[in-house]
Amino acid sequence: MKSSYRGVILLVLILFASIACTQYTVNMYFAQRYMEVLLLSGATVVLFPLAWMVFRKDQRDRREQGK
Amino acid sequence: MENEKTRPIPLKDDNYTHNINRSNERSLDRRSFMKTMVGAAGLFAASTLPWGALAAKELMSSSSKSYPTQKIANLSDIKPGDAIEFAYPGEHDSALFVYVKEKEYKAYQNACTHLRCPVFWDRDEKELLCPCHHGKFDIATGKPLAGPPRRPLPEIVLQEKDGAVYAVGVKRYEEQL
Repeated sequence: MKSSYRGVILLVLILFASIACTQYTVNMYFAQRYMEVLLLSGATVVLFPLAWMVFRKDQRDRREQGK
Repeated sequence: MENEKTRPIPLKDDNYTHNINRSNERSLDRRSFMKTMVGAAGLFAASTLPWGALAAKELMSSSSKSYPTQKIANLSDIKPGDAIEFAYPGEHDSALFVYVKEKEYKAYQNACTHLRCPVFWDRDEKELLCPCHHGKFDIATGKPLAGPPRRPLPEIVLQEKDGAVYAVGVKRYEEQL
């Protein structure tokens, strides 16, 4: 049976975005652009529940497929 | 001969050191791989919170900070090419004043923007040099020229009064970039 990599790929992308946002948060803090810091750290915080939801959905789909 | 299956300890594990036999000890299946990624995303989310809090604190406090006026040196006491180390605005914020040439002087906070090593004035090369990883900064603008640093050094605003130089403020990055 072929397994779907959609969930894994989505999670990899979310994790990549969250690493990039974290890096930019620190950079923008030292560049004293504080509004951007708030937006980027907000984005990183939002990405975590998104990752959790993708994980849950993936596990649910697999259970339904009987894997 | 003893049967391997009825023996309480399998023969291959009957030793003092390599006797832990957990099933799938080192395998990483799909589920735990995805869990690790979710955990990492959570870790990154948590790690940005202090930066967000610090930024919010900066935004809440008055937008234009007031800086003290601090005398650095009398211009008659120094020659072109000289550099003076001082601390500005706080006593732990080390800074470097450089008398580049006649009527031209610059001052920067001299913690390297890479890993905060002190930056020195290289008189022969006319550059600011960080000896830790050979980062170089332009003396005219503070921008990084070589090595690992990516951000310019924060410039200190100077004022000449009665033959002496005073530090009166630190430029914000967005004014510099």
